[in-house]
Amino acid sequence: MSFYRVPGKGRVDLSRPVTFTFDGKTCAGGRGDTVASALLAQGTHLMGRSFKYHRPRGAVAAGSEEPNALIGTRRGPGRFEPNTRATVQEIYEGLQTRSQNTCPSLKFDVGAVNDAAYMLFSAGFYYKTFMWPRSFWDKVYEPFVRAAAGLGVCPSEEDPDHYASRNLHCDVLVVGAGPTGIAAARAASADGLCVVLVDEHSEAGGTLLSEPQAVIDGVPAWDWLARELAALKDTGVKVMTRTTAIAYYHQNMVGLCEKLTDHLAQLPDDTPRERLWRVRAGQVVLAQGALEKPLVFHGNDRPGIMLAGSAQTYLNRYGVLVGRRPVVVTSHDSAWFAAFDLADAGAQVQAIVDLRADVPEALMQQARARGIPLKLSHTATATRGRLRVKSIRVNPVTGTGVGSPEVIACDAVLMSGGWTPSLHLFSHTRGKLAWDDDRTTFLPGETPEACVIAGASRGLWGIKAALNDGAAKAREAAAALGRAGSAPPYAVAQDRTGSGVSARELPTDLSPGRAKAFVDFQNDVTAKDLRLAVREGMRSIEHVKRYTTNGMATDQGKMSNINGLNIAADALGRKQPQVGLTTFRPPYTPTTFGAFAGYHRGAHFEVTRKTRIDAWAESHGAVFEPVGQWRRARYFPQTGETMDDAVRRECAATRAGVGIFDASTLGKIEVVGPDAVEFMNRMYTNPWNRLGVGRCRYGLLLGEDGYIRDDGVIGRMGQDRFHVTTTTGGAAHVLNMMEDYLQTEWPDLNVWLTSTTEQWSTIALNGPDAAKLLQPLTDVTLTEDAFPHMSCTTCTVAGMPARLFRVSFTGEIGFEINVPAPMGRALWDTLWRAGQPLGITAYGTETMHVLRAEKGYIIVGQDTDGTVTPHDAGMGWAVGAQKPDFVGKRGLARPDLVAEGRKQLVGLLTDDGSKLEEGAQIVFDPAQAIPMTMVGHVTSSYDTGTTGASIALALVAGGHARLGETVHIPMPDRTIAARIVPTVFVDPDNARIRIPAPETEGAAA
Amino acid sequence: MNAPILAEVPLAHSAAATIRRAAPRARASLRLRGDLAPFEAALGLTLSGRLGSRADAGPREGLRLGPDEWMLHTTPDDLATVTSALAPLYADHPHSLVDVSGREVTVVIEGPRAAELLTIGCARDIDAIPDGAARRTVFDGAAVILWRDSATRFRIDVWNSFAPHLLDLLVIGTRELAAETS
Amino acid sequence: MLLIHCPYCDETLPEVEFAYAGEAHIARPENPSEMSDEDWQEFLFMRTNTKGPYYERWRHLHGCGRFFNAVRDTVSDKFLTTYQAGAPRPDLDTLLPPQAEGGK
Repeated sequence: MSFYRVPGKGRVDLSRPVTFTFDGKTCAGGRGDTVASALLAQGTHLMGRSFKYHRPRGAVAAGSEEPNALIGTRRGPGRFEPNTRATVQEIYEGLQTRSQNTCPSLKFDVGAVNDAAYMLFSAGFYYKTFMWPRSFWDKVYEPFVRAAAGLGVCPSEEDPDHYASRNLHCDVLVVGAGPTGIAAARAASADGLCVVLVDEHSEAGGTLLSEPQAVIDGVPAWDWLARELAALKDTGVKVMTRTTAIAYYHQNMVGLCEKLTDHLAQLPDDTPRERLWRVRAGQVVLAQGALEKPLVFHGNDRPGIMLAGSAQTYLNRYGVLVGRRPVVVTSHDSAWFAAFDLADAGAQVQAIVDLRADVPEALMQQARARGIPLKLSHTATATRGRLRVKSIRVNPVTGTGVGSPEVIACDAVLMSGGWTPSLHLFSHTRGKLAWDDDRTTFLPGETPEACVIAGASRGLWGIKAALNDGAAKAREAAAALGRAGSAPPYAVAQDRTGSGVSARELPTDLSPGRAKAFVDFQNDVTAKDLRLAVREGMRSIEHVKRYTTNGMATDQGKMSNINGLNIAADALGRKQPQVGLTTFRPPYTPTTFGAFAGYHRGAHFEVTRKTRIDAWAESHGAVFEPVGQWRRARYFPQTGETMDDAVRRECAATRAGVGIFDASTLGKIEVVGPDAVEFMNRMYTNPWNRLGVGRCRYGLLLGEDGYIRDDGVIGRMGQDRFHVTTTTGGAAHVLNMMEDYLQTEWPDLNVWLTSTTEQWSTIALNGPDAAKLLQPLTDVTLTEDAFPHMSCTTCTVAGMPARLFRVSFTGEIGFEINVPAPMGRALWDTLWRAGQPLGITAYGTETMHVLRAEKGYIIVGQDTDGTVTPHDAGMGWAVGAQKPDFVGKRGLARPDLVAEGRKQLVGLLTDDGSKLEEGAQIVFDPAQAIPMTMVGHVTSSYDTGTTGASIALALVAGGHARLGETVHIPMPDRTIAARIVPTVFVDPDNARIRIPAPETEGAAA
Repeated sequence: MNAPILAEVPLAHSAAATIRRAAPRARASLRLRGDLAPFEAALGLTLSGRLGSRADAGPREGLRLGPDEWMLHTTPDDLATVTSALAPLYADHPHSLVDVSGREVTVVIEGPRAAELLTIGCARDIDAIPDGAARRTVFDGAAVILWRDSATRFRIDVWNSFAPHLLDLLVIGTRELAAETS
Repeated sequence: MLLIHCPYCDETLPEVEFAYAGEAHIARPENPSEMSDEDWQEFLFMRTNTKGPYYERWRHLHGCGRFFNAVRDTVSDKFLTTYQAGAPRPDLDTLLPPQAEGGK
């Protein structure tokens, strides 16, 4: 057994030994130990170096508020985590840990020269130092700041663990499983409410784990705890340990982070490392307890100096004496009990130093009975000891000042500056805080959430008060849910209640200007820094915080906020509530990105929608691209082909024979009802009255502002039934927009909308041989007379029920065949087989883009950007000017939209045949002074088409009137000249789109 | 990637729950307003319940999704019967009947912890949906219709293209729940 | 994440099922083409952007699909009420303070 382990004390199971490493050295502990308790048990207090001054530091606390003892943990590749608090990391066999901020080693650190240069690194150092000269920034300051910034080392490998999330609904969520929380859960669950009790520690109990002496209802505290936990389980309360309530959001949504494997030697299969719970509770009971404050005096940060309550926890919960010759320095009764417990466990308590003159007689009697020297009305003014405290200097405080010092040798200092209610989650609710002058702290006031706060987190002290308040507040919560709740009053013997005073920096006879009296241990902020910040003009606590960094980083001011406020308020000469408290922000404790990401990583990062034909494309070597949530085949490279090669081949094959294309992602909406045509008239720019059944029309949809929102071909399947298609990316938006008008502007119209995007698999056939391929598979007569361009019909194709459209987005003879989605693959396979004699070629979205650009067909969102009107796009022909109204008609008449010089869609051909970059800016005069006047930009550009030229579409100011003119596109290395041409590069007469009449017999070869 | 939804064997199975794909059903979206009686008579289904309520008769299941919106499930053969039963009503009682049989797939989630499994993707309180009711909602970013047949049996209708994503999570969750010791 | 009461489903549900739809009670004019540029600009672009109770629209997109109206306090993010589209604008004075959500 290690020297500092006390036999018979604590809850650590030493019969189940655990070994782990700290900075490469093997350490031993027992099941139930944390890294900190195991290290303390072997007498190791030095666990890390501080952030700014690289001062040696040890654990100052025993819980998640720990600011000093930050370690890196590792268990094999990818499983490295920096900034883990040694005080909460449970040890397991094989755990590897490292100290941080150390170079080259924990005991000898070159960064500690910062400590000697302390006077240089005072508050606002960075702001003052890195201001000038400007030229120093890149070479000197930034590298320095980057090297110094950040706690710990960022992991560099991919995290192999997985993470999970779940939603949970309950009546009452109790945060904190100390006596308050347990009593609250009991009271709330008595009436059959669904209750969840969570605690961040590895086991429930809270302060009871540190106070085994208490006797509750006649039962020793730990027996009572076991009994209550069993009873909670029996009544159906969900008790979750290792689960931190990290944030409190609107309407009682509380985020919990449950750690499932960080304490296990063997990682179980199928178990996530962490799970983020989104809890929605009818009522929340906050029972987070209180956090002890350190005392602020010169040298209060050496290893071996820790909070008195934490020392008590190490002894009673972990069976570890943090020192054999401790000195207790306090302004609160609670630390006296820590002194007693340590003395009873064999420590020689060197002295109890109390700032107060008056201490309850009962405490003094107990101290005297243990032979502990008492020093009332005394202050602590300095400590010594490089890697571990060796002595403390104390002085009497009299009415006239600080008396002569006395040095007391010791191996630990237990300090207590009183307790701060934990108000973090309460503050997340935007709950108001009320300053309590007696306790010198903030207490919870009103909150807008359905939430009660109980026990030490509202300033009550002692186990009995905690139990009874927890029960009472839970009854309030139950009452708000219409239940009575119940719990008898609790009786507690050997309870430890007490009071104390709150101090700022302790009085001293040494120069306060040279004092290193730490307020925020993690950020190395001293009392002097805070006073300097005030002297330099900071008035708000928010400014003081940012100037000094007090209360920042992983501990978020859990220990430092109130001490910092007291000192800043004193320096300002104002009361604390007038200075205010900085905002507590989520998360309560550092939370991994993994927990927030949950299942959404890798292939499951976001929804990837795939068509029924996607698997065919994949097996035929398609290269995919994302289009909205869809993944679409972009091109189908054959062996050795580049993308350009493949697209050239696909384009040429489609213009020469027949190409097949998966158009299933097109948005589709079925518009049905007696007022369908009226609805279409109001929504789309085009007139619809005279569109016959069995005919299609290209439709243009605007916003009320007159700009193009979407487009697509629309077929009239029946008198009252339209088959509307939208862009792939615009489908959901268009349906939402239509529903909005229908429900709220025109509720009188008898027409209904149904999304049929995924009802149909849509296959496009394009090319001079398209009809030749399709004709044998359908009974529709595919001639120019019987089924002309822009026809649609319900029919069968290859024996499947189909909606057949004769449309073209390529300028070739084109069909779009819609069959019920599950049949899509079968139709594709049939067409593919039937097309082999014709040399059928599958093409992807890239070829589709090229072929349509050669015809000057726009793609909404590529050639338009939300500021383009139909007239700008050269599609004034699609606007039914005679219609009295449609969405966007009035918008089109806005002064800006009818002004001269608007950017208009034109074609561009470069003089030298080079390909323009999409997005490149256009100027009229390349010789003008910089910055040049830009008059438009390239929207589409391709050199893989069938014209042999490099073609582009562009928006150019006044472009329609500038046909034939030359514009210039400045690039980083040169300026490219291009000629403005019409947007149609191929077959301007649309001759190719016609199905030739069948050859007469006589003409047959 | 589309392969899992076509499989006939369970897609995932553990002590917590079993995931499988339901046999194909015909589905139609029925939209109408005003007098429900003629439609109830033609279909033999009650349509007038509150939103989320279901009625069934023979092979037909009707679910009220909105004030003017119902989802009908039936056998493929019966859908033609439904269509011809409603057609004569159109002139006096305009409505919209759209065949969406091909739009969705149905996944069955069954087992002692089926309801808990759904909490990994659904922010709604699953327990607040009565047995024998259904709701349109969101599951891990995908719009779904969630049918609660009993406390331990659910169906999810999801559009084809979202099914692999949704199934992926259900399969992970089925294993995850089974690995829990408590 | 907010909880929103859908006045059609009569259920209070997670925000993820809903989509925001801008300020409420802005009716599209009967005859837009007869409006002056100023009036059209007012309709198209100008919104009150209230600090405090704000009349706004939501859609129960992944539920019943209906657009409805709400009064939400833009400072506290609390819904004072929700009501069906077409119902008159509720008087702020008569809106009771929001009630605590009931049991499970």
